Amino acid sequence: MIELQGQLVVGAILFALGAIGFLTRRNLILMMLSVEMMLHGVSINLTAFGAYHHNTSGQVFTIFVLTISACEAGLALALILALYQRRKSLDVQLWGNLGETDLPRLVDDTAPPSHPLPTVDMPHLTPAGRMPAGPKQLPSKTPSKV
Amino acid sequence: MNSFLQHGGVLIPMLLGAIAVWTLLPRPEPRAWVVGSMCGLAALLAVLGRLAPPSGEWMRDGLFYVFGGGAVICGTMMITDRNPIYAALWFALVTLCTCGMFLLNAAPFLSVATIIVYAGAIIVTFLFVIMLAQQGGTGGYDSAAYQPVLGTIGGFLIMGALLFTLQQWGGIERRPGETQIAGATFVKPPQDVEDNPLSTPPLRGMGSLHAVGRSLFGDYLFAVELAGTVLLIATIGAIALAPRRAQGNL
Repeated sequence: MIELQGQLVVGAILFALGAIGFLTRRNLILMMLSVEMMLHGVSINLTAFGAYHHNTSGQVFTIFVLTISACEAGLALALILALYQRRKSLDVQLWGNLGETDLPRLVDDTAPPSHPLPTVDMPHLTPAGRMPAGPKQLPSKTPSKV
Repeated sequence: MNSFLQHGGVLIPMLLGAIAVWTLLPRPEPRAWVVGSMCGLAALLAVLGRLAPPSGEWMRDGLFYVFGGGAVICGTMMITDRNPIYAALWFALVTLCTCGMFLLNAAPFLSVATIIVYAGAIIVTFLFVIMLAQQGGTGGYDSAAYQPVLGTIGGFLIMGALLFTLQQWGGIERRPGETQIAGATFVKPPQDVEDNPLSTPPLRGMGSLHAVGRSLFGDYLFAVELAGTVLLIATIGAIALAPRRAQGNL
């Protein structure tokens, strides 16, 4: 059946494109999305073989792939957020030198500077008067340690 | 030289595709996107035309080319887009095209479930994280790929090996002395292995949810339990890993 071969070709191309994306992108989130694209290629293969052999096992395997990719996305987002809290950046190259200090460092390929958002002229409101007296500050509670 | 000519139908599109992806990968200086997209489209047309020729049913063929070509094109756009938000949206399109391929493979339930899980949950969550992390404009790391030459060569070596194996195995072209296209005897189902008893639906019942449910909760019941356990552990792990607030506990 030639149609099966066409589906396998599309699955192989998606897999390889996902691999290229994983290897070349620096954004942590885009790397995870590339991995999901590789999983899509595998899922196409599974369902194509299932339809070809007239067997539902392929669809069941794809359901398992879906489950595992959901687990992976949840864990990866938690990890990415933890990493982002440390360095305030999603650049994966910042984490490229986790080895011992006396070992030679990896290729130090620094990213170009970031492009900030274009600053637009915001309208300024004319002052409407003096600042009114605020409410009296309540005595702040000292945090009681339990 | 002879073998090169014989396999040129796979090698030349691979070369074109590698040039296309290398040209389109993000870099600080402007990209030659016209050259890249032309090379990529030519490579895609050559590969699909050689390895997946039309089978005669014009409706299925049309849907296959739309979904398959769309998946490949959107995937290329995803890995080459400089803006991570647009890349995530391209990934949503890849998911939709993949779901179309699932429909062609008689898996309508799986197609809808994938749309809900990916386009409804995963993409939105990733978009949230991207927007959370990049409030001050796009980072410079998105506009420069890391080692684009090596990555492209490696990826297209994998792809070339896969497609070369497919071509050798399936053999679209007629070999000398054969009257039938060799692709007709592509992969035989194994005769000496017993089928899973609940996974072979009746003749017209391939796409039904009934067949999938019988197989899932019949033949693969232990695997379902294991997958549930993995989900539970992943939930616990995600909660434990999530960055904690400055005060209070989770």
